[in-house]
Amino acid sequence: MIGRIRSQAIDTSRFLTDWMEHRTGIVTMMEHFLYEPVPKRGAWLYTLGSATLFCISLQFLTGILLLFYYVPTTDHAWDSIYYIMEEAYFGTLIRGIHYWSANFLLVFIGLHMAQVFFSGGYKAPRELNWVVGVVLLLLVIVLAFTGYLLRWDQDGFWASVVGMKIGSYSPFVGGATIHFLLGGDVTGPATLSRFFAIHVWLLPAALAPFIGIHLYLLRKHGVFGSEFEYSDRLAKLHERQRLELYESYEENGHEEIGETNLGRRNREERDRRE
Amino acid sequence: MAELQKDPMTRGDFLGFGILGTIVGAILTIPPAAFVLAPIIDVDILGKSDVPEGPDDWFEVGPIAEITEEEPKFFKVDFPVEQIYAEPKVQEESGISKEEFVVESALWVSWRTEILGDGTYGQSYRPSFLDNYDGGTLTEEQVQEAQENLNVLSSSCAHLGCPVRWILREGEGELLCPCHGGIYNINGEYVAGPPPRDLYRYTHEVREDGKLYVRHEFDVGGENGPQEPYVI
Repeated sequence: MIGRIRSQAIDTSRFLTDWMEHRTGIVTMMEHFLYEPVPKRGAWLYTLGSATLFCISLQFLTGILLLFYYVPTTDHAWDSIYYIMEEAYFGTLIRGIHYWSANFLLVFIGLHMAQVFFSGGYKAPRELNWVVGVVLLLLVIVLAFTGYLLRWDQDGFWASVVGMKIGSYSPFVGGATIHFLLGGDVTGPATLSRFFAIHVWLLPAALAPFIGIHLYLLRKHGVFGSEFEYSDRLAKLHERQRLELYESYEENGHEEIGETNLGRRNREERDRRE
Repeated sequence: MAELQKDPMTRGDFLGFGILGTIVGAILTIPPAAFVLAPIIDVDILGKSDVPEGPDDWFEVGPIAEITEEEPKFFKVDFPVEQIYAEPKVQEESGISKEEFVVESALWVSWRTEILGDGTYGQSYRPSFLDNYDGGTLTEEQVQEAQENLNVLSSSCAHLGCPVRWILREGEGELLCPCHGGIYNINGEYVAGPPPRDLYRYTHEVREDGKLYVRHEFDVGGENGPQEPYVI
């Protein structure tokens, strides 16, 4: 009885997966994402991009949550954050994640850039992905800068004033840019509204498509090697998995210890053949 | 066939995956859910209100002597609101904004009136001592009489909450809702239109100084209808 239910369940899930695969290709896509062949040496360095993406996702999610209570007016910005920190359920946790993941985001981006730079990952045909990455870096820096003012406490306020004064020394356009950001020539209610609009709508909306382009180009060229090389390596990985599967069948068939040793020897022979 | 399904998974793996998934899922979903659903937790589960509802939270409406026999009198009461940054703790700490956060509530207050068979108004139960009342201290009997004969009505229509107003038609007055035409008589009782019940009545008391006081709660149950308004 249980055996029948089990086999039926397996058949059903197999049918559903095949159905989805046939219409969306989602299983193949998952394979591409999950079974990424990377060199053994320094494999962890390849996770820095994913770490960056993870932090950005956290920023989006916690940012949406914070918007439920945050009020972008000079009267109540500080009050509403105080409410989030002191009264709202899990408010400290959610704002803490937003704050710390913003900090770690910049750290991860720096490390990610360094890794790509030192491994020469920006070279042809991946130059454009580097360019897109730099755009993403700049967007994130402006996000961090605008987010700082939204707290409307002494720390955030004066940091923003200093930042904008630095910007005002830019030749020719400095003054105009700063007046655009300030919404006048004074840091006041207009500034907070503008920074809020830039921080929660303009930049996230700009960030999302660039992340999409970045990931598309990454998939197009692979983390390393060409697309051809990539599929080649994937094919080899599948072949190896298949052989291991057969070996496990063989091992289950023979209980003697000697047989497993034989399997291992066979594997070495196979590797030599390749 | 899909490669992912070839991953061998033992029963132990499956159970471990399920338990770990439950724990991780709870950690990921409970904080944001509680954060966003705080109003439901506070109002519907814990039964709190954004307007203070302690036993001492009575709010002055006005002198009862000003209310005439013929028509209900309009009063405005500002109930303080304690909501997100308007909470006293936050305001105390802020030091910047010292605003009063209130919900402006409109009340119609009338004397209980006899309703005759054809819907016209009969005798009013306005206490006779008010005819030559000079603003002095009321006796206990007078307070009792006034309190029993007052209709303290929320102006919010029991249908969908628009503010009702007093209009005169063919010499007879009625409380009419401008949105969908709900009609109530001078006692706030349902006469016609879509409202499912009478107007909501505030918990009220008359004090010795001749003034009317209300709390931010409604007399519900029995003839007043079973349900409290969701929006107040």
